[in-house]
Amino acid sequence: MSAAAQFSAILRKDLTRELRTREVLVSVFLFVMLSLVIFHYAFASAESDLTFFTGGMLWVTFLFGALLGLNRSFAQEKDEGCLDGLLLCPVDRVTIFLAKTAANLVLLLAIQVVAVPVFTLFFVERSYLGDLPLLAGVVLLADLGICALGTLLATISMNSRARDLLLPVLFLPLIVPLLIAATSATTAVFTGDTGLGDLGVRLVFLVAFDAVFLVAAYGTYDFAIGE
Amino acid sequence: MADPHPGHGRPEIEVEVEGLRKTFGRREVLRGVSFALERGGFLAVFGPNGAGKTTILRVLATLLSPGSGSVCVAGHDVREDPMPVRRAVGLISHSPLLYPDLTAYENLRFYADMYGVEDREARIDELLDRLELSHRRYDVVRAFSRGMRQRLAIARAVLHRPRVLLLDEPHEGLDPRAVDILDGLLAEIRADHTFVMVTHHIGKGLELASRVMIVDAGRVAYEHAAGVDADAFSAVYHEHVQEGSAQ
Repeated sequence: MSAAAQFSAILRKDLTRELRTREVLVSVFLFVMLSLVIFHYAFASAESDLTFFTGGMLWVTFLFGALLGLNRSFAQEKDEGCLDGLLLCPVDRVTIFLAKTAANLVLLLAIQVVAVPVFTLFFVERSYLGDLPLLAGVVLLADLGICALGTLLATISMNSRARDLLLPVLFLPLIVPLLIAATSATTAVFTGDTGLGDLGVRLVFLVAFDAVFLVAAYGTYDFAIGE
Repeated sequence: MADPHPGHGRPEIEVEVEGLRKTFGRREVLRGVSFALERGGFLAVFGPNGAGKTTILRVLATLLSPGSGSVCVAGHDVREDPMPVRRAVGLISHSPLLYPDLTAYENLRFYADMYGVEDREARIDELLDRLELSHRRYDVVRAFSRGMRQRLAIARAVLHRPRVLLLDEPHEGLDPRAVDILDGLLAEIRADHTFVMVTHHIGKGLELASRVMIVDAGRVAYEHAAGVDADAFSAVYHEHVQEGSAQ
């Protein structure tokens, strides 16, 4: 049995479950849309162009939305007593991490595919279609960091009775650097400030952040998912 | 010249536990458990609740690491070389280890892919047929009764043809028909498998086992070849458990 086959088996299983129950998709999507409505009414009277603030609004919303999903990704395995079944299998623990990260990434991307156009329709006054590949790159890099760090920390916190509290306490301080880089890179795309200077630095930072936490997970996941 | 068959002339040991200790926090659950089981053997483990029986099974299954001591399953150390142990072991536990929102088929396909079962579809068909679950193949497990889940759990545990089967109270919660199916299946695969079964059913344990062991307060209180009369064993059990239940 190859690691690739095991990876796709875990990914398919997680996505099949989610498509059947829609537990994460519905709750995160509702949260994202509710945030949009609140932001819209909060800034309704503002005369100024809100394009500059859209990156921040988007990433704060996605970050808290992702937390809802990350909390569920291992809680389901644990609550339904299936984690032992997964750990009994002759699978490298890093493969479990990568498959769980990929499943969280797919769900987050599915929500963003709908939410980003809707958000920008309300708040961004400039057409950014020409910079769409750049925006996709920023979103993908930031999502990978959120899901890699989040999956690692969700695994660590799943054995705690206070896991719903522990995950945000561990996750939010560590994700702040990524949040700042993703926000300023996204804002740069929306405002058309796409010169390679500042934006390039932020993209390099996002790549480095992803690499650090993927390597950290590779080295520690066996312990994180153990007893 | 070295003997090409070093185990020749004596039974090959499939499960070997030596001085196993395990602590949770400050509580020592296993206090130097040792036993060995030859290939094809069937060990029934008895003992009161909290004696450490399930912990032994979880260590054998690599779900818990041994605190100290050595544990070898199918010729591999569970701490140093867990992957071949996981390939060699199947576990039937209290919990069915099935995903309630997936169908019976999806659950078995998932585990078959994880174990790399080559004849996946034929094996799933065979087991669903054998466990009389073919008609519920595409139903989600959430809709199954407790007995049906347990039958599907048996299919999951033997799907990859494990050499060593670990059974934790396998008859618990089964209706008489399911008990017959389980016993029939165990009898069928008895010859070429090694079994370690934790149970409270003295009669059932003595009926199936080739060796019996009583664990109490984290220690092996009694070990003997099977073939003991149920009443006599019951007396031995109460004698050892009363003596050793100081935990």
